[in-house]
Amino acid sequence: MLFKIAWRNIWRNKIRSLTVVGSIVIGVWALTFMMAFYDGFVTMYIKSAVENDLSHIQIHNPDFMEDKKVEFVVENVEDINRMLSSDSTVSAFASRSLNNGMIANSKGSRGCQIRGVIPEQEAALTRLNDKIYDGVYFDKSKKKNPLIVGQKLADKMKLKLKSKVVLTFQNVDGDLVSAAFKVIGIYKSGNTIFEEMNIFVELSDISRLMGDKTMIHEVALMLDDVGLLDTVQSAMKAEFPDLLIENYKEISPDVNLYESQMGVITYVFVIIVMFALIFGIINAMLMAILERSRELGILMAVGLNKLKVFLMILIETVFIGLIAAPIGLMLGYFTVLYYGKVGIDMRESMEKIGLNEIIYTELDVGSYFIITVAVIITAIVASVYPALKAIKLKPVEAIYKI
Amino acid sequence: MARFQASKYILMKNVITVKGVTKIYNPDTIPVHALRGVDLQIGEGEFTALVGPSGSGKTTLLNIIGGLDDASDGSVIINEQDIAKLSDSQTIEFRKQNIGFVFQAYNLIPVLTAKENVEFVMLLQGASQSDRDARVKELMSAVGLSDHLDRRPSQLSGGQQQRVAVARALASKPMFVLADEPTANLDSKSTADLLDIMAKLNKEENITFLFSTHDQRVIDRARRVVNLDDGAVISDKTIE
Repeated sequence: MLFKIAWRNIWRNKIRSLTVVGSIVIGVWALTFMMAFYDGFVTMYIKSAVENDLSHIQIHNPDFMEDKKVEFVVENVEDINRMLSSDSTVSAFASRSLNNGMIANSKGSRGCQIRGVIPEQEAALTRLNDKIYDGVYFDKSKKKNPLIVGQKLADKMKLKLKSKVVLTFQNVDGDLVSAAFKVIGIYKSGNTIFEEMNIFVELSDISRLMGDKTMIHEVALMLDDVGLLDTVQSAMKAEFPDLLIENYKEISPDVNLYESQMGVITYVFVIIVMFALIFGIINAMLMAILERSRELGILMAVGLNKLKVFLMILIETVFIGLIAAPIGLMLGYFTVLYYGKVGIDMRESMEKIGLNEIIYTELDVGSYFIITVAVIITAIVASVYPALKAIKLKPVEAIYKI
Repeated sequence: MARFQASKYILMKNVITVKGVTKIYNPDTIPVHALRGVDLQIGEGEFTALVGPSGSGKTTLLNIIGGLDDASDGSVIINEQDIAKLSDSQTIEFRKQNIGFVFQAYNLIPVLTAKENVEFVMLLQGASQSDRDARVKELMSAVGLSDHLDRRPSQLSGGQQQRVAVARALASKPMFVLADEPTANLDSKSTADLLDIMAKLNKEENITFLFSTHDQRVIDRARRVVNLDDGAVISDKTIE
């Protein structure tokens, strides 16, 4: 009977109840969307960082990470390649040389990182070939010293296809080496900071300029399943104890921070929205109790004890939450689904923080569950104060209240 | 609660004993003496009217007897149980098992149908569905509303609502019914119908009724009239 009374009480003042339901629906919808947007943003950020730059695991000479001198190379590249080639969990890997140097043309000069890559490996690992939006990817049949630059750097240095530039860097003896390169392609990575800093040349060209020495400073690899990250990393560490083998979280603390804080941020969103909703619900329920004080007095006079009065108010509030939550979740789900497909284009505003990708909203099932539980808890918490007010009513005063 | 129910059938003479009940409102500021040492005994099966002008203390006395309000002094003993000595929860339980209420403004639960209003107290008592159905049928028939079971209070006239209220008061098979100005909002026909029903229930089922009223139509039907004035009993007449 308490459930019946509580349910029917909701519909006594439809406008008020629907207003509360509406506010919860909007709150749940907004919460769902905010969480999905944040998840999408973090996923995009990590994906961009991993696919363009970090990969899942990187291998270096430990000294290279302390001091980026060219002589600190990865010695046993052949062994590493052999291991990675035979490991079915590794989807792709690439060996690179990394030289800090300078790029110059008639318009000026800028510092940059020169990445000497093996074209096939780099294409497999970072899909650099797919990111060329103007020009072509490395092709061995073409002329020597081809260069691929990022769009951001090209814009800043007014580089076009076939532009000639001079790259200056240090060789293993500490002498400066300069060589002319020709721009054959301009890439877009979605990360403008990366685009501005990183230029790609063929490893064979840079090795020739270094005095016919192939100097690999970095081996990067991607896994089919990121869940195997720790396993593969441990196995590699055991195999190559003298090398520095790090995963992307260790290399880039900001990525780790984003990933680890995702759950915390979710709870912060939930708490803020639910806290706001609590006040709306309390207000509506207090008004309802004020209007029904005589009725509550009668119920208590005929024998409804305080616990049941409390439960009746609680049930009524939870009912409101249970009506609103599915509607809000459904609206949120479809919004997330829609923007998960078409994406939210914030490239212009996000370029300032180095990101230039579309955000695709996403939300896991667990988050929907969290929101549902949060709404129910909110309704229960919000019902406590009005319910306490109700049980404090004295039947005699409530019944004869004018 | 078994204690209350058991005692209900042991002493059949005096159902209610009021001893020196005093009620002072605002004792610390501007004291208002609503009742001044009222003594009263109500026997089983009585049909008693508490009469008196507005402010004489009728409703206050009913509320104290019903455990809805506390006396400032004195005691109310119902079947050897001093109700002032019960805790809040025991008082609620006591009311549920022993007292039926009929209020002036009908005071049915608007979201429940007539049937649900009547069976509500029985539900609180833990009565079975079949017992509830039988009792509701019996009472709604007694108050002449067998065909109005599924109507909400808003779909009933004032007289019909008050008859449902009487049925609700009797649903728990109480020791007695307290009715506060039950006919105040009713027209003559509804009043006559309601009084007929209550008199019939009193006569046939020996249910004790205690009214507060200043309605002459009720006073004329009462078999005992207790006159209150300024918080004190000034006369107590049994009508043969």
